[in-house]
Amino acid sequence: MVKHITPWLNAYLDGELPDAQLRQVEKHLAECDECQAKLEQMRNLSALLHETAPTGEFLPTGRFVANLTLNLPRRPEHSRPRKALEIGWWLIPVGALGVWLFFQITFSLSSVIFTVSETGLLDNGLSWLQGNPLQTRWFSLAMDLFGGQLGFTGKFILSALNDLSLFIQDMTSRFIWQVLFATLYLGWLASWWWRQSNQAIPASAVPQS
Amino acid sequence: MTSPYAETEAILIAKAQKGDRDAFGELVRHHHPGVVNVVYRMCGDVELAEDAAQDAFIQAWLHLPSFRPGTSLRNWIYRIAVNAALDVLRREPKTPPVDLETLSMPDSLAGPEIVLLEKERAFAVQQAILSLTEANRSVLTLREYGGLSYQEIAATLNIPLGTVMSRLNYARDRLRELLAPQLINMEIANG
Repeated sequence: MVKHITPWLNAYLDGELPDAQLRQVEKHLAECDECQAKLEQMRNLSALLHETAPTGEFLPTGRFVANLTLNLPRRPEHSRPRKALEIGWWLIPVGALGVWLFFQITFSLSSVIFTVSETGLLDNGLSWLQGNPLQTRWFSLAMDLFGGQLGFTGKFILSALNDLSLFIQDMTSRFIWQVLFATLYLGWLASWWWRQSNQAIPASAVPQS
Repeated sequence: MTSPYAETEAILIAKAQKGDRDAFGELVRHHHPGVVNVVYRMCGDVELAEDAAQDAFIQAWLHLPSFRPGTSLRNWIYRIAVNAALDVLRREPKTPPVDLETLSMPDSLAGPEIVLLEKERAFAVQQAILSLTEANRSVLTLREYGGLSYQEIAATLNIPLGTVMSRLNYARDRLRELLAPQLINMEIANG
């Protein structure tokens, strides 16, 4: 059974078909009288639509422009609060990026200092920056209650668990910060994109189907 | 002497956005024929089309400061024009009865019978276009009389590309049915 290409004929007539489909349509048209006839009808319709002149005469463009420019209303001035809102709108991503950069640099610097300090390269030069070794509450409590009874292995295991716990806390807080900033920034980007694609169109009545 | 429109559209837009009425006038001069053609086919009446075109350009003037440079001014104005035409039609939905004898057509050297036939054909085409739904008519007029590509129509009316194609298919199928007698006459005349 021959499969006609009727749905593609409009796009073919309008020169809107991509190359692959265009070749397919041309090949089919060369063999199918029915589709050729339909295409001819469509060409005639297009010619009919273009041949028929308006039933009346329009103002010449020059006069239309002259009348229009005389009747153009004054544009409403942007109020100050609106301008302030515009500035605030653009400050959101800049502020979010600034805060994010600040936290990233702070976290990275403190990690570097901590690592260098752990290796003993700084001696006691930056000991004031480090403060006391970090401890979780449960670790302090456990050491207070059972510290005297634990041997070296027990203390080592508790200390490792303390470090792991601190690491997870640190990662979690970083993750939450990153997610918060990413959400804020992406949210702003999405609303910016939405504003751009829906820039002021005066009459809101977009044709409905 | 160079044409006033020799200045690029971008410069004229920038000036008009700052309130330069002459620059806006140049933009209107350039886009007026296309806009009038589209709104006439949307409204089917010269006076309504003039009103719609005027409304469209005034709205464009008022909202020009929010126009995003780098995008198509033509598409932006056409979108406003299509909506203005629909607004005008909603305000004045009654179409006065048409007397073919009183319709004015462009000057023709043809005899009165031919002129009457042309009027009848123009009226039939106009009525057929008006019988389409607003959505289908908008797509058809932007394509046939505005010369917009499918992609531009989709962007102008803010609808998906597939919807543009299906509406155009439907509109043309419907017009072929409604204008069948005129199309047969055309085929006969073309031999």
